[in-house]
Amino acid sequence: MKNRADQPARAITRRKLLKASAAGAALAAFPAPLIAQTKPFAGVTLHGASFQHRFFTLLQKYIPEFEEQTGMKVDLQLSAFPVYNQQANLELSSGGSAYDFVNVTFILAARWVAAGLLSNLDEFTGDPNLTPAEWNPKDFVEGAQVPYRDAKGGTYGYSWEGGAMVMGLSRMDLMEKKGLKIPKTFAELQQVCAEINGTDGASGIVAFRLHHWNLPPYIQGFGGNIFRNPPGDIMPALNKPETIEGIEFYAKLLKSAPKGVLTYTEDQARQSLLTGRSNIFIHSSAWVTPILLSEESKVKDTSRVVRMPAGPVHDHPASNSQGLGIPKNAKNKKAAWEFIKWALSPDISMRLVKEHGHSSVCRRSIITSDAYRKLNTVNGQDLGALYLEVLELPAKGENYMAYRTVKEFPIVGDVLNKAFEQVATGQLPAKDAMNAAQDQAIAALRRAGTQL
Amino acid sequence: MSEHSGRHATPGRLVAITITLLILLSPFLWLLQMSFKSNDQILQFPPPLIFTPTLENYISLWHSAFSASFVNSLLSASLSTALALLFGIPAAYALSRWAGRGKHGLSFAILVTRMAPPIAFTIPFFLFYRWIGLLDTITGLVLVYTSFNLPLVIWMMQPFFDTVPISLEEAALVDGARTRTVFTKIVLPMVTPGIAATAILCFLYAWNDFFFALILTRTNARTAPVAVVNFMNYEGWEWGKIAAGGSLVMAPVLIFSLAVRRYLVSGLTAGAVKG
Repeated sequence: MKNRADQPARAITRRKLLKASAAGAALAAFPAPLIAQTKPFAGVTLHGASFQHRFFTLLQKYIPEFEEQTGMKVDLQLSAFPVYNQQANLELSSGGSAYDFVNVTFILAARWVAAGLLSNLDEFTGDPNLTPAEWNPKDFVEGAQVPYRDAKGGTYGYSWEGGAMVMGLSRMDLMEKKGLKIPKTFAELQQVCAEINGTDGASGIVAFRLHHWNLPPYIQGFGGNIFRNPPGDIMPALNKPETIEGIEFYAKLLKSAPKGVLTYTEDQARQSLLTGRSNIFIHSSAWVTPILLSEESKVKDTSRVVRMPAGPVHDHPASNSQGLGIPKNAKNKKAAWEFIKWALSPDISMRLVKEHGHSSVCRRSIITSDAYRKLNTVNGQDLGALYLEVLELPAKGENYMAYRTVKEFPIVGDVLNKAFEQVATGQLPAKDAMNAAQDQAIAALRRAGTQL
Repeated sequence: MSEHSGRHATPGRLVAITITLLILLSPFLWLLQMSFKSNDQILQFPPPLIFTPTLENYISLWHSAFSASFVNSLLSASLSTALALLFGIPAAYALSRWAGRGKHGLSFAILVTRMAPPIAFTIPFFLFYRWIGLLDTITGLVLVYTSFNLPLVIWMMQPFFDTVPISLEEAALVDGARTRTVFTKIVLPMVTPGIAATAILCFLYAWNDFFFALILTRTNARTAPVAVVNFMNYEGWEWGKIAAGGSLVMAPVLIFSLAVRRYLVSGLTAGAVKG
């Protein structure tokens, strides 16, 4: 076979001439810059990861539209919550560039932001060429955005999901029969739970074993906290009198709960509430509302969703959010921003609400819209207003949810869980258990290398 | 019934065996019955013992990414077992027949790699794999499992080779057999129970591994144990699928163990009464 260089130059054929003319005509009709603008990310494969959540399951239905618009291909890896956190933590902290966008898990947000593992998104929102004005970053509920800010106010994530602690009541019929009103204070809550407990086979309240989520609002309600002054001062504050008071209160409250409640999973608590076997469940709105309104719910007509009662000192219902961010070492940052912008756009958020009834979005304009209100008004209660009010609270004055976003929380949370179980099961008086817990928490933090 | 079996089958003994079996099998049976229930039935209290079984959990598993993960597990466990045996058996034989001074030191050095906890190797493996592009690949998993199983194979197989009389090999050599023939036709058949027992242990290690698979895989090479965990969602645990996945994960090991049970008992107990 001859080399190409050895072959004689061929004459231009008629077919070649026609082909060249057609190509020229096409280029004239669609100039190159226009083609580039139509599919600005053609050929890019965007790698993203998160834990499995209904939001992403729904979003996946729309992703083909995004791929069509931009020309990029989205590879979204969804894993179980602990699996994702483990893998993302390892990838980001070891300087990996496998992901272009990631879920910034609430409990990891502070450490990822402080460690500089994420890109500052203000660079994207501040550039009108990259972010149109109507995207409006200020539309995101401020309370949900707090975890994704650094000390200087830079933004490292935008929230796609919010969880606001609310109180679900399943048996208003029983409450009314007994002449009981919806409790608004801790004292009233205690009284209502005790009076309902055992009536018509229902327990007063139900909870689940994640005490370090359920318990802090009670501790804070009495004026205590998990740490002295997080995120700056993370000395544990487990044996403060206010903390002990909160622990004692919650342990007493659970005496009106079903047997074995200390080991209940969220599913067991869910089942207990929706079958009317328990009257009250205080948990994230993303859980409580769907439970009461689900198809299997036997208490749709007798249920209410209201604010969690206020403590004698503070009214601090817990809240959290999950965000989307771009790793510092991501290979396709602009493409990733395009995805985040699209996924959290007012349009997609509204479609999720209207087409799927997905309510835990974080855009104020959506939550306050008529469409949202229409879908989320149940038994006369405007759940959107309630959700927004609670979600907003940590941004008003003290960020009381800061305890949950510091990297030391899991260690202290574990100690708190064990101590609470000792108190609730009567193994130790609260004071003794919490004094021991304080020492254990300090020792565990020091072992982990924390300077106190 | 033979005289032998009749001697043992007293009513008391039968009751004791039944109770023991129930205790031993109850976690498995519980898991199995859960896999045929809906999520609501699983969470009912008290749990219903009589219910209409459903195949829904298995069907949805079949249609989910779990089926690919199951194949990944089968591939990584089988290939790593085969590789570990392929390299480990000749190594063990060589070590058995070697009369040099450093024999015990070398044997111990080989085992040392098995003594360290896997977590000590995970991060180096992760960083290295990312660098050479083996992250989230079956090849990567196979190499890790092989490296961990190789010392096990050498250590388990060496005593089996020690029990094969050298005189047999010498006789074959005198008869004109080549070394390779002696090894494959005379020595290996005599250590078959050992190979079966070792293969089971290697397969079990790779099949049940969660930690390496968690760190070194993402979606393409995700194995069944990690896939089962993926049914623990943020919004709730899919108990039915977890149970169905757990039951399926147990199946290959059970089948494999049953297939080689004839060799397994003799393999695992070989040398137990030597003295």
